[in-house]
Amino acid sequence: MNNGRLVRHSIRAMARYKLRSAFIMLGSFIGAAALTLVVSVGEGAERKMLATVRQLFGASSILIMAGGTQILGGSGANAARLTLDDIEAIAEQVPEVQVWDPQQAIAGASVRHDGATATARVLGESERSEEVWQRGVTRGDYFDAHAVKTTERVALIGITTAKELFGAEDPIDGEIQIGNVPFRVIGVLEPFGTDLHGMDRDDEIIVPISTMMRRVMNVDTISTAKLLVGDSSQVDQASKDVARILRERHAIPASRPNDFTLITATKVQQMVGRMQKIMSLYLPLVAGIALLVAAIVAATLMLASVNERIGEIGLRRAVGARIEDVQLQFVIETAATIVVGGLIGIVAGSVIAQLVANRFELGVVISWRPVLLGVIVSMVTGFLAGVLPARRAARLDPIEALR
Amino acid sequence: MIELQNITKTYVKNDDAIHALDGVTLRIERGEFVAIAGSSGSGKSTLMGILGLLDQPTAGRYVFDGEDVSTLNTLAQARFRNNRVGFVFQAFHLLPRTSALENVELPLLYSDRAEIEGLGKKALETVGLGDRLHHTPGELSGGQQQRVAIARALVNEPDLLLADEPTGNLDSRAALEVMSILQELNRQGRTIVIVTHDSAMAEHAQRIVRIENGRIAEAA
Repeated sequence: MNNGRLVRHSIRAMARYKLRSAFIMLGSFIGAAALTLVVSVGEGAERKMLATVRQLFGASSILIMAGGTQILGGSGANAARLTLDDIEAIAEQVPEVQVWDPQQAIAGASVRHDGATATARVLGESERSEEVWQRGVTRGDYFDAHAVKTTERVALIGITTAKELFGAEDPIDGEIQIGNVPFRVIGVLEPFGTDLHGMDRDDEIIVPISTMMRRVMNVDTISTAKLLVGDSSQVDQASKDVARILRERHAIPASRPNDFTLITATKVQQMVGRMQKIMSLYLPLVAGIALLVAAIVAATLMLASVNERIGEIGLRRAVGARIEDVQLQFVIETAATIVVGGLIGIVAGSVIAQLVANRFELGVVISWRPVLLGVIVSMVTGFLAGVLPARRAARLDPIEALR
Repeated sequence: MIELQNITKTYVKNDDAIHALDGVTLRIERGEFVAIAGSSGSGKSTLMGILGLLDQPTAGRYVFDGEDVSTLNTLAQARFRNNRVGFVFQAFHLLPRTSALENVELPLLYSDRAEIEGLGKKALETVGLGDRLHHTPGELSGGQQQRVAIARALVNEPDLLLADEPTGNLDSRAALEVMSILQELNRQGRTIVIVTHDSAMAEHAQRIVRIENGRIAEAA
């Protein structure tokens, strides 16, 4: 018995049934590609989400937002009055608060420089925002306390906005107009990338909070404040004190809900935990379904093919094929269709996953787990649907298989 | 060459035992051309399957060239089918979409021979199809297909050629062609056993063994 002859024969035999072989291969290809794509992108998105949450929100932060909204709910900022005095009072009365930064924002302001126009998110903040939000400048300088006190018209701009307004020109000391107010650019913000919502955080402009309130928006309230406490174990107590002080200052009766929202690391952790739970349930589910469907398709085709060929198996046995020879032929066929289809699917899925990841700045997302799973499922499918039934047919007396 | 001793084959169907063969004892000498004749259901095809080791008897002894082949394991059975006998079926059983040559070479795939070059072509020439090497079964007539099947049975140069109703699916002209090829092969020294229900075909053999209800009725 010469295995080389049999291998060549099997491959020629498969080539005679191109459509059948192609469909089996396609089933396996789609399953492996879908699995790799979904799991890789899902894991990448989850990592990105956690990284972004940590970036936005350290363990010892308390975020106060105007309006009695739910976490991630709509903002009720206009209805509520959160003032700088409120936050100053809190900082005085709650000793755990070490540093704080107020914020007022316009989501989409029109910004101009010479003839160029851009839409940017404009944030008014204090000089302490660099420390509180952990985002500095790569070029130029941050504005200082003096600038905030004297409502200076200076601005820090993100790299996307800088590119849109200044092109190749140096933005430092350039003049921009936010609405009708002229500002001087004194720094370029550190790149941030996209945030959880896929929003570009490099099209932001940061100006002193006082300038923002008085010259740009003409308001005496702020939308948000972030407080840092010394130790994450003090956060819960501090946030209770903050809530009490704000309710007193806003004279809210005991029967009424808060007109502000507090977010602490504990709450964020709960939120992240919920998201992770959904992700860890949803991803394998979707991937599993994709793989299951593909495995069923490939297995059905393979099974149908084997059933249709029981007579052929009987003939081969009648002319002297051993059970092992029949088995070898079907191992070759399975390897050439299901396994190769699966491997090509994994490669294609990985490439698409990386393209998607590049688009959403998720970094390198290809992970070995879906790849390994894809290979194993391909092989098990091929074995169960191809090799095993063929072996069973080969074990029959040839006369039965030929019937 | 062939010695069957008290062969029985029993199928169990719905708790009823059906005796397809009921104590068959038969000798066939080397170089003979024997026709096993009988009506359908007489057990002749079952006997043929057992002669080719395509099927296992329920009881009895089968001695081939002095060797008891009724107790071979599956591996030795495959070897026996590969190089001791050639089998021709009523329904040809050729691989579709596959050339005549590759069909004929099928047994060589499973043989121990080191050199197989040219054997397929030679076998096809023996049955007069040297000019149809690359035709697929769909491109050949029924008679030609059966001749390809005979070439396949011959390719490993077996001692014994078994043919189960070889003319059953053929018109009378093609049937005569196939029978004359078998006679010619017998003249060249091959032992041939055919099964047929057609007494006209059986007349081409040297000896006719009649089988009825699983028993040898008449051995002339």
